[in-house]
Amino acid sequence: MLNGLITLLSFFLAGEFTAAALHLPVPGSVLGMLLLFIFLLWRGAIPTPVKTASTGLLPYLPLFIVPASVAILNHLNLLSRDWLPISLAVVISLVVGIPLTGWLMQRMMGYTK
Amino acid sequence: MSISLDSGLYQVTHNPLFGILLTLLSFKAGLYIYQRYGRLPYLHPVLLSVLLVIACLLGLGLSFDAYYKGAKALHWCLGPVIVALAVPLYENLKTLRRHWLPFFTALLLGGSGTIVCAVFILWLCDASLVSQNTMWSKSITTAIAVEVAPKIGGIAALAAAIVMVTGILAAVTGPWLLKVTGIHHPAAQGTALGVCGHAVGTARALEIGSEAGAFAALSMGIMGILCALLLPLIL
Repeated sequence: MLNGLITLLSFFLAGEFTAAALHLPVPGSVLGMLLLFIFLLWRGAIPTPVKTASTGLLPYLPLFIVPASVAILNHLNLLSRDWLPISLAVVISLVVGIPLTGWLMQRMMGYTK
Repeated sequence: MSISLDSGLYQVTHNPLFGILLTLLSFKAGLYIYQRYGRLPYLHPVLLSVLLVIACLLGLGLSFDAYYKGAKALHWCLGPVIVALAVPLYENLKTLRRHWLPFFTALLLGGSGTIVCAVFILWLCDASLVSQNTMWSKSITTAIAVEVAPKIGGIAALAAAIVMVTGILAAVTGPWLLKVTGIHHPAAQGTALGVCGHAVGTARALEIGSEAGAFAALSMGIMGILCALLLPLIL
């Protein structure tokens, strides 16, 4: 577990380093994930400590989202101003997006079968 | 010696660890309700725990800043947890040996279709610019969306709210939408649910079957990465 956590933190900070050094406006965490992903592809297997740490941590991923989401308390003005267009956009884009994505995939699979 | 409950309570609620304990307790309660009542999508554990934390803060008369003084330590942990997502992504990659071209076509066109549609509606309705910016993150899984939103001129908390509601709606209505539009192949169903409904959609796709679940997990992961890398560069 300890080695796995060390690996995850190192890849995370490597991602932060890459984003800052290359002046990329991209989240360091996502770059860190990509770096770990490339490392896994290169190794061709998941090292046991990394597997242990990720299996231990990922069930708690939703917990770590809570604090940033509670910040909605500071943006209630914005929510009361824009809730209707936001709701419309969420519903309509879903009704368009789900059939569109599924149809494209199913149609293309018919061609490549 | 006099007992002063007020100063004791003040000491507790203004300790940085209070925010952490409150988050853990609310998450525990949210998870309990979600599991107790049949894992219904709209009983999303994060949504429940956010509402519980907010109710407690309002009840105790505490500000968000007082809460976040400690809770931000949990937020810092989100980064390394996102890095850990590389593991399931790698494990699901073998799914792609089949149907990789249809998959990427559907992901890119369907994904940009649903995002542009949502942002266009906000623009039509004259919603504020910060809401429009945030809406670009609607097809990213919540953990990554809260990291991306501030980079594109949006608000992390609003992104989390939009993504969670989108995921819940996708899980509730998605299977029906797919049925009435004649989309029966599990790989296509999974991809649609993953692109448009991220984590909650993926949980729903896993109920359809393992193929749908694997394609949903894969599309959620790749959609999150592509949006995180491209949106800040384009916008």
